[in-house]
Amino acid sequence: MAIIYPDMYKNTGKDHTRMPKKSTYINVKTTERILSVAGGAFLLYSGLRSVGRNPVTAISKAVGGFALIARGVSGHCPVYEQIGTDGAKSEAVNIKQYFTVNKPRAEVYQFWRKLENLPLFMRHLESVEQKDEKYSHWKAKFSKNTPALSWNAAIVKERENEFIGWSSVEGSTINNAGKVEFRDAPGGRGTEVQVVFSYNMGGGGLGSGVAKLFTPLVENIIREDVRNFKQYIEAGEVPTIAGQPSGRD
Amino acid sequence: MKALCWNGIKDLRVETVPDPTILNPRDAIVKVTMSSVCGSDLHLYNGFVPTMREGDIIGHEFMGEIVETGKDVQKLKKGDRVVIVSVIGCGECHYCNSGTWSLCDNSNPHAIMQEKVYNYSTAGIFGYSHLFGGYAGSHAQYIRVPFADNGAFVIPEDIPDEKAVFLSDALPTGYMAAEMGNIKPGDVVAVWGAGGVGQMAMQTAYLMGADKVIAIDRFDYRLQAAAKYSGAEALDYEKTDILEALKEATGGRGPDVCIDAVGMEARSTGIEQYYDKTKQVLRMESDRPAVLRQAIMACRKGGTISVVGVYAGLIDKFPMGVLMNKGLSMRGGQMHGQRYVPILMNLVQEGRLDPSFLLTHPMPLEAGPDAYAMFNDKADSCMRAVFMPNM
Repeated sequence: MAIIYPDMYKNTGKDHTRMPKKSTYINVKTTERILSVAGGAFLLYSGLRSVGRNPVTAISKAVGGFALIARGVSGHCPVYEQIGTDGAKSEAVNIKQYFTVNKPRAEVYQFWRKLENLPLFMRHLESVEQKDEKYSHWKAKFSKNTPALSWNAAIVKERENEFIGWSSVEGSTINNAGKVEFRDAPGGRGTEVQVVFSYNMGGGGLGSGVAKLFTPLVENIIREDVRNFKQYIEAGEVPTIAGQPSGRD
Repeated sequence: MKALCWNGIKDLRVETVPDPTILNPRDAIVKVTMSSVCGSDLHLYNGFVPTMREGDIIGHEFMGEIVETGKDVQKLKKGDRVVIVSVIGCGECHYCNSGTWSLCDNSNPHAIMQEKVYNYSTAGIFGYSHLFGGYAGSHAQYIRVPFADNGAFVIPEDIPDEKAVFLSDALPTGYMAAEMGNIKPGDVVAVWGAGGVGQMAMQTAYLMGADKVIAIDRFDYRLQAAAKYSGAEALDYEKTDILEALKEATGGRGPDVCIDAVGMEARSTGIEQYYDKTKQVLRMESDRPAVLRQAIMACRKGGTISVVGVYAGLIDKFPMGVLMNKGLSMRGGQMHGQRYVPILMNLVQEGRLDPSFLLTHPMPLEAGPDAYAMFNDKADSCMRAVFMPNM
């Protein structure tokens, strides 16, 4: 069965093959371009003024200022290009995962649909609070050193025992959306589950560039949390060795 | 508690570590009465299994007494004398339900690590590297046993410890080797490696109807034990041309079933040994497949190769053309002990299987580093050193 993705999955932002070879395309947003020109002009001015007093700082200021002006005027940022982001678009990170659960479809669907269940095994979710049939409030912590994130999400599409689609509501720290589909596996092998998850931090600009640098990390965390769903619903617990003895203690 | 920790290649130390605690509802804590060394531990000892970390407690063949159970443990109770299967299975996934417990979907906490190497993750194993879950092993006074109702079997009173402990790994692995060979009455079975697992494969091969079992090794004491305890014809590969000798022993047909109970540190003679050893040391191949190559060559047309010796990664110069054109079948795997232990307990009770001769060296845990050195060097006619950590 073909999967029809909502529009939000279509812009993967990862297709660099279609980018023009010559590094002149626009990857900086308009506001950022104006700020670049202004900031660059200030740096250039202050650099040129201080050439006599402190030539090294002055020249670096002037060069930096010139680069910023160029970035603003051309709308192309070589740094964005290097870190593989495109500030003009808000870049989404997409994760897809497939697994089969050895349980009947209705049971698997119901377990996922009761969103309060998710923090039982998704270790990076602190809580999910279901406000009503549609809206819910989510809290997550991805590492000890980062603050907890929270957002509101809405179920945007669902069909009982078949799929659930959700999206964070406007103004969230992490824009995220996803869909989980449930199908009968052949030959009584349980339920095939397909999860598609897409997120971006702060809707573009440097935020998404930073998010991209952490993508492998966050991707692993999300994949583990999704795997935990299968482990928890089948085995009743998530396997762990955290807290066991070793010669490292 | 005291535990034997891996700290690097050939560097084991007895250390004082915290006692294990219940971490999940289906866990039990076992006070270890016996914990055996296993040939596959030598792959860790010699540094050929990746993802070991300094301080890891090793050991996976063991028995003991239940001292604590998690809230979802139903069958076991405090005081039960149990033997524990080395491989951990949840009992609820498709694989456990099909009896293929070592392929469990849900018992490896480091599944993501294994998926990167094998594309799919397999079951967790006690004390057997982080690729297999990183679970603390049994060379310790206490051990935490996840999914305890599945993996820990209460031992009938008439099976003594020196037989029961080998129900943990050597017996089920040997049994599975013979089972994968699909042995038919009249078959000749050749077994490479006359250690604990190899000899259990020999004994069970007879139970499954083999007419003749041939043991191949280079240590005289092991070949003698194979002849004495497991009824095998013995061949020393350093003194004999194995391919020729196997033809001679089978009327020119070749063995119907060839069992590899050696694995990735196989030795051979002459140039082949230097070739594989060099490539392995240079990390150009992770495993030395000399036994596998020879078994494929030796096997009769249409025969079966059964692999229970442990391999970790890649091999080189694999005779695919021989396997394909001779129409061989090849199977392998870690054992599905949860399926085999009840069958094997009966066979041991009936006296049809007796693994107790494997226990050549009972030892205190403190002797761990020496025991491994002895076992690795095949010194003092050692079949298995078995620790008694609470004696």
